[in-house]
Amino acid sequence: MPKFIPPTIVQKEPICALATPPGKGALAIVRLSGKNAYAIAKNITHESLLPRRAHYTAFYDANDGIIDQGLATYFQTPSSFTGEDVIEFHCHGNPLVAELLLKTLCCLGARLATPGEFSLRAFLNNKIDLAQAEAIADLINSTTEQAARTATRSLQGAFSERVNSVLTQLVQMRMHIEAHLDFPDEEIDRQQTTQLCKQLTLLEDFLDELLQQAKLGERLQTGATIAIAGKPNAGKSSLLNVLAQSDVAIVTEIPGTTRDPLSADIEIQGVAVRLIDTAGLRETKDIVEAKGIERAQQALAQADLILWLTDVSSDDSQAIPKEIDVNKVITVHNKIDLQEASSLNDNENIYISAKNHTGIDELIAQLALRLLGENVLSENGDTPFLARNRHVIALQNAQQHLRSAQQRLSSANELELAAEDLRIAQQNLGVITGAFTPDDLLGKIFSEFCIGK
Amino acid sequence: MTSKDQQYDVIVIGGGHAGTEAALAAARMGAQTLLITHNIETIGQMSCNPAIGGIGKSHLVKEIDAMGGVMALAADQGGIQFRVLNSRKGPAVRATRAQSDRVLYKAAIRQQVENQVNLQIFQQAVDDLLIENDCICGVVTQSGLTFSAQSVVLTTGTFLGGKIHIGNDNYSAGRAGDPPAITLAKRLRELSLRVGRLKTGTPPRIDGRSIDYSQLEEQPGDTPTPVFSFMGSRELHPQQVSCFITYTNETTHEIIQQDLRLSPMYNGNIDSTGPRYCPSIEDKVTRFAERNQHQIFIEPEGLQTHEVYPNGISTSLPFETQQKFVRSVKGFENAHITRPGYAIEYDYFDPRDLQPSLETKAIQGLFFAGQINGTTGYEEAAAQGLVAGINAVRRTQEQDAWVPRRDQAYIGVMIDDLVTSGTIEPYRMFTSRAEFRLLLRQDNADLRLSEMANELGCLPAKQWQAFSEKREALETQQQRLKSCFVQPGEMGAEVEEKILGKKLKHEYSMYELLRRPEVDFEKLQQLSKQDFSSIPSTVKEQLEIQAKYAGYIERQNLEVEKLSHQEEVKLSPDMNYAAINGLSNEAKQKLMEIKPHTIGQAARISGITPSTISLLLVHLKSKPVQKIAS
Repeated sequence: MPKFIPPTIVQKEPICALATPPGKGALAIVRLSGKNAYAIAKNITHESLLPRRAHYTAFYDANDGIIDQGLATYFQTPSSFTGEDVIEFHCHGNPLVAELLLKTLCCLGARLATPGEFSLRAFLNNKIDLAQAEAIADLINSTTEQAARTATRSLQGAFSERVNSVLTQLVQMRMHIEAHLDFPDEEIDRQQTTQLCKQLTLLEDFLDELLQQAKLGERLQTGATIAIAGKPNAGKSSLLNVLAQSDVAIVTEIPGTTRDPLSADIEIQGVAVRLIDTAGLRETKDIVEAKGIERAQQALAQADLILWLTDVSSDDSQAIPKEIDVNKVITVHNKIDLQEASSLNDNENIYISAKNHTGIDELIAQLALRLLGENVLSENGDTPFLARNRHVIALQNAQQHLRSAQQRLSSANELELAAEDLRIAQQNLGVITGAFTPDDLLGKIFSEFCIGK
Repeated sequence: MTSKDQQYDVIVIGGGHAGTEAALAAARMGAQTLLITHNIETIGQMSCNPAIGGIGKSHLVKEIDAMGGVMALAADQGGIQFRVLNSRKGPAVRATRAQSDRVLYKAAIRQQVENQVNLQIFQQAVDDLLIENDCICGVVTQSGLTFSAQSVVLTTGTFLGGKIHIGNDNYSAGRAGDPPAITLAKRLRELSLRVGRLKTGTPPRIDGRSIDYSQLEEQPGDTPTPVFSFMGSRELHPQQVSCFITYTNETTHEIIQQDLRLSPMYNGNIDSTGPRYCPSIEDKVTRFAERNQHQIFIEPEGLQTHEVYPNGISTSLPFETQQKFVRSVKGFENAHITRPGYAIEYDYFDPRDLQPSLETKAIQGLFFAGQINGTTGYEEAAAQGLVAGINAVRRTQEQDAWVPRRDQAYIGVMIDDLVTSGTIEPYRMFTSRAEFRLLLRQDNADLRLSEMANELGCLPAKQWQAFSEKREALETQQQRLKSCFVQPGEMGAEVEEKILGKKLKHEYSMYELLRRPEVDFEKLQQLSKQDFSSIPSTVKEQLEIQAKYAGYIERQNLEVEKLSHQEEVKLSPDMNYAAINGLSNEAKQKLMEIKPHTIGQAARISGITPSTISLLLVHLKSKPVQKIAS
């Protein structure tokens, strides 16, 4: 057999990653490589990219919302870094934008690259000199060690406990279904489909909760967006200024933010938070103002939290518009300096005076609570989930397959399809916790049921 | 010196399910083949329960059938009760099972073996293997006769070092009534192969005339009777009979509990591992003490015998206890036991010492197939026999081994499981072992394998022709379904409403309609003016399944494709993993032990991480790779 030389470039499954260092910078580059990379890029840019040409274009998310505007460059196989089809997206250096772009790529069939994977592919496709082999091996080793350490850290405490709890329930369900399929003649205590459906619903709820918490953990790392909204003259800009200048917050200049002229980056309990002041929402015939309101609505849809600012001294109706997701809203009642009667704060209502700086500490405490949850804030609480983006994606995939399994289960003929969905759901959770083999599953079946004639 | 007429291409030792498929496959491929058995009368014997198939197992049988093997056809000729299991579930988990008349089944196999061109039979025990420079060159029989061959397939089942236990008595034995192959076992133990010990058990057999069937639940076969082989037909089936079901009760359990200390498994005489999925009645009563009854499935042994096989009460309790507990069962009050149940311990060789071709790593040209590799079941044995037989021939022709991948066949799943992970209990097939279960259906075994079998030269010409016709019809009809449209109101709006729940709003291709869960060919016929009556029913079935599973099949295919790169990168068996920089000691040790054949197999070894795989890839690229020994 001759020396191992691949006859042609092998295009593997598409992978993506941030190619620039994480954190803020003027620019961030997201790289996509592999089979179908071109088609995926077309979905993102809505353009047919020409090889080796930088295209100035919008980047769209799965719902055709614009994530950012920037440059996309297509490097056609074999003339690329990895030898595969590669697309580089140059976007603004905001971690949130890059994250969103990566998420969208993952929705479109790519997966996050493992450490050193781009280099590895480049090497395997003869794009890197042989002498660099050792260096790459070292890189893989050191980065996986690092990843392993990080993974262990992030899997400590509550998060791993919860993922394992979902897994246990999932394995339990799979055990029942697989026993149905592999041992139809045995007398095992069969769970009825309706029962399984009920369990699946519980499991979905549980996973949903876990996903929310994982997103929270991810937020710890990548930051959150809080939008300030309200009727004109409610005091939105003053609040922004107060928050940006308060002692607990650190003001930073944001480079390259042409889309959100009125925004500030602050930090709350270690979480990077971008505050966005939106245009006052009202009916208008002014084209410029209408454009502003449209943008405001977009910002509100994407925000993690919304501060709905009202003017307690005003008699106009200041109800929250129905387009706004009330679950994200904290109503901030401003201008209490103009009113005699004092009111009590609760989880949804905070009373402040932006002018006198009254109630700001309480507002920030409430924001921290909403962003991080109670556990994180209590001193003896669990370590926050240091969930990574890949964890969140894995949980989302698992959730999607649980839903599909639910549908399949309600029709008895499709038990094996439900089983397939559950298998994939578990495979996704396995990304977080480690592998589980069919033999482990059989072991569960045999230990629980009396099988065998 | 051996005379010319004692020279063969391939010698198969053993005439069980593995041995017969191995010998037949080798002979079909044109190799001069000798099957040596200690007793010609036992060729094709079912030594355990009289049934072929079942879930996971019938998948294997259909695959063997699609490769030109004889098991399914013999099951059609010997089957006296046929059922499709999981018939109300999806096609991927449907399975066929045939209760078989032992005599008819054996006769069918014997007939195939005796009439196979290039195949000769010889009766005598084999006592020794001729090995030169770690390479097999022949065998020596009990009386000192020598036969030479380049490849030898060993299929000695549970005969190696067999020891039977009934109560506190134990004695050396092969399968019921046969002598054990002790000399050969001793010889094999001298080779550098790892040996383990397994156990399995059988229930006592009962004279059917002493059973009161009127008290039992009857289970007739399915109508219309399912057919096992792609080349089979209902006309081959003998007279059909029923199975019966009864249950143990609390009295039964008390009797067993009382005498538990007399069971060799509970008094320490047996410490080898039995299968988790086939526990003895002692085990069931102990481990699932909360159950007040256990099912007994009464399988007829044949049309010409009264003996029945009460499946579910395998035991090694003393005979007196067996009699007592059997007679406590409803319908068995006057039961006469014709043969006591027993547990048998036997040697097996660690399958991790095999290459995926089933050739031993230690001795070139020596192949192992069947229970000797730690599996259980006729079907598992036969499937290995087929693969070993094919590769035994390919070795003599200096061709690369043929092994189906995990996404191509249950046979591939089984072999990969065995050589990659080994086994600590008798290995049995289940559909849940196959990650590509939706692709590996019994209905499409021919579409998955027959073309390969034809290329390998082990598919009879007649079968190839029948298969080609079916495949062509399938392609033509699929084209037709995709290109023909049903117009709204074609057969009247009422029909549409009745079948689909609402009227068609625009035209649909027939393929699109068939994808809907509520539409089958019969319904499609009602919706369309086209005539489908000339399409063979197997083709219709295939078209329906392909249409309805389409989305899931596509996804599994994507997964297969994702993994295929790994399967294509070969690893040399003489690779020195210890010298690779960066590998953990655990990874080095595991890789040295298993010596995986591909990167894909390496990735499936427990404890091997993706980064290990990356390092291996880098290593492969930077060093020239040696030729893989074939």
